[in-house]
Amino acid sequence: MTCLEVRELLPEHAIGVLGELEHQRIQRHLQTCAGCRKESGDLGQAASTLAFALAPAPVPEGLDDRVVARVRRAAGAPATRRRGRTATVALVAAALVFASLGWGAVMAGRAERFADRAAQAQREQAVAIEHFQQVLGNVIPGGSLSDNETHIGQLAPVAAGTGGGFALQLVSPRILDFVMVIVNGLDDPSVLPLRVQLVNDRGRVLRAGRIDTLDANGGAEVYHQFRTQGLGGFTIVNVVDPAGRLVLTGTVDQSN
Amino acid sequence: MSTRPDGPLLAREEQQLVEGLLGGNEDAVRALYARYARPIFTLGLRLLGSAEAAEELTQDVFLAAWRKAARFDPARGRLSTWLMTIAHNLAVDRLRRETGVTRPHLVLVDEVPELEWVDEEEPLIERDAAIRALESLSDAEKRLLARAYFGGLTAREIAEADGIPLGTVKTRLRTALIKVRRANQDKERP
Repeated sequence: MTCLEVRELLPEHAIGVLGELEHQRIQRHLQTCAGCRKESGDLGQAASTLAFALAPAPVPEGLDDRVVARVRRAAGAPATRRRGRTATVALVAAALVFASLGWGAVMAGRAERFADRAAQAQREQAVAIEHFQQVLGNVIPGGSLSDNETHIGQLAPVAAGTGGGFALQLVSPRILDFVMVIVNGLDDPSVLPLRVQLVNDRGRVLRAGRIDTLDANGGAEVYHQFRTQGLGGFTIVNVVDPAGRLVLTGTVDQSN
Repeated sequence: MSTRPDGPLLAREEQQLVEGLLGGNEDAVRALYARYARPIFTLGLRLLGSAEAAEELTQDVFLAAWRKAARFDPARGRLSTWLMTIAHNLAVDRLRRETGVTRPHLVLVDEVPELEWVDEEEPLIERDAAIRALESLSDAEKRLLARAYFGGLTAREIAEADGIPLGTVKTRLRTALIKVRRANQDKERP
């Protein structure tokens, strides 16, 4: 390409809307042409101004730790020094997903309607909480968790709705608080995306995650670690549709 | 590693941060995150339309920056420009890959649901300067740049949509970017 041809395309190149082929041709030209390279840099800086002018959105809690962990892992650096206080969401989630058979047995129950299984609920809760403690204990430096740090609640459908689920909370003075919500039997995909919220008795709402897709059982998992916010008192777990209507709700028993 | 918490970075400070990033230095990554994660996340939210996608994008940007860090040259452009260009390119690539079309879906920030996460305030040192720079544009120029940058429209698509010559759109895009660039020159790094 000639400089004339390149410069005609540089504004769109700076904005990032050119196709891959033209982008590559310009990149090759820029490697050898200082004048066009300078022009490209100037226009690129101008284009990025648009992004910086946007009204800032709040960044999710813990994203800094996740970014640091990912970059350091890629760079082959040792684990972050903050780990003593932080059981990262990714680590915990991976542990939960791949954990013991006991946890698998709990997950297997998801295909059924929890609302119809009251007789088994108490036993399953005990199994779930035991394995939740075991799994978290394995990934958290400093040993096991006590009963009063791990809590569970069941989620039930509102009115004539379907589905159900579990909410598991880690509320601890030693570890960043954490919630995992497992839902199933949600047979109406039109309610997506669903938002999972934690609410305290003063009506304060914390966002725990969003469900964009459901599996074949109408199920999904959401997990979130709270960097600055303790979960003490946030006992109500709501799953709401895009219009803000309750789909599932339940209460976590934090009194144990 | 220490950098000033606010104000533009010196070229050597940018170079130090990127070298730290390349080595996986935690302080360097956190310093870069403190300065740039929020505008990157915001851009992701604007272009991709969900907090989850914006978070993935933010992580991908820092990882891509680590991969490209050896090629960063502060003499060729600001660190902020470099990171935001990576972010914009990754977001547009993702949209093209997911939708199979060349034009991303425009999501206005006002349409994105209010996030309820507790906000940890971080300095947004670039934003005031960016808003001031964009004030040098007419409303029509702002709309034109926004259609291209946030809407992913090429000059040809804008020309066809508006029924005006392609050359005119290209000239207007270039003129608008140069105006912003000149306004930015008033706030060049120390």
